[in-house]
Amino acid sequence: MLPMSVRPVLVLPHPVLVTPAAPVGSVDGAARRLAQDLLDTMRASPACVGLAAPQIGEPRRALAVDVTGHGKARSCHGPFVLFDPEIVSSAAPETAREGCMSVPDLTGDVHRASRLVVAGLGPDGRRVELEVDAFEARAVQHEIDHLDGLVFLDRVAGPHGVFPRKVYR
Amino acid sequence: MPRFALSALGVDQPGIVAAVSGALMELGCNLEDSTMSILQGHFAILLVVSAGPSVTVAELQAALEPEADLFDLIVSVRALHDPVPGAEAGGDPQGSQLFEPWTISVHGADRTGIVHGITAALAEAGGNVVDLATHLVGGADAPMYVMTLRVTLPGGIEAPAAAARIRAAGDALGVHCTVHPDEADTL
Repeated sequence: MLPMSVRPVLVLPHPVLVTPAAPVGSVDGAARRLAQDLLDTMRASPACVGLAAPQIGEPRRALAVDVTGHGKARSCHGPFVLFDPEIVSSAAPETAREGCMSVPDLTGDVHRASRLVVAGLGPDGRRVELEVDAFEARAVQHEIDHLDGLVFLDRVAGPHGVFPRKVYR
Repeated sequence: MPRFALSALGVDQPGIVAAVSGALMELGCNLEDSTMSILQGHFAILLVVSAGPSVTVAELQAALEPEADLFDLIVSVRALHDPVPGAEAGGDPQGSQLFEPWTISVHGADRTGIVHGITAALAEAGGNVVDLATHLVGGADAPMYVMTLRVTLPGGIEAPAAAARIRAAGDALGVHCTVHPDEADTL
């Protein structure tokens, strides 16, 4: 049993968040600890449906997603971690509003595929392939963007696609 | 039909748009293009109105004066005379050369010169700002600046070169800058 570890989530303009992350390659003890930290940190914030390793300061290609119980979810694989994830195929783009723990003050309208096949290594080191759709597909793409040094602000649908969370009235 | 550019700015409160548009309606004006936003608690109105042939700037100002007093608005009105080349074809004043719509996203630690640096590179590359919005967020200890622009870039092989110049300007400023063509699916 690994010890519970909730890590601080970095926010922009932290440089790690705009730097492409390095491949994990093979899943060793350090990678498994990273997977557990991602899951623990994600669970510590009830609204968090996904987290990428750069968000906790680790420039490695690892992500965690859990859309359990989310109203916009259709497919739901529960909590999972992928190392070196790759999008195998994608279809059916749609636009929706999204936010990010690393960009706490803003939300944005982003165009993303709503059906996706994503492949990567699981925490046991074996290759897995997941079919995801709707909100789970959006979460996976959002987290993969983090691994490429991108946040949703880099994909918003123009100047009128960025929204302050703070409401004046 | 005479057209006028009108701007109004004041501390935000409910009823500003209703009041300004009501005064314009009373005068028989028609609101054409407009943009209205809350900027750090201030409400900003920028619009183009068309009016009956006899309406003057002075009449518009007089009609808006009670609302300006009520809401403490700074109002300015200006007559528009010359037709803008290309305005009817979609607002591209750059003549007959082919231009492409692109989007630029910029974010980074706040500093002076971000808007200037990016838009200067855009202008030098022959591009034009169509729409621009900025947000200063993150609080006083770690202020972050976010700017999103819809722009036109010279078409064809010039566009990627223009995009590269804009990215280089972002690098020089130490901000993250993505530049990508707008994709529109025709259905």
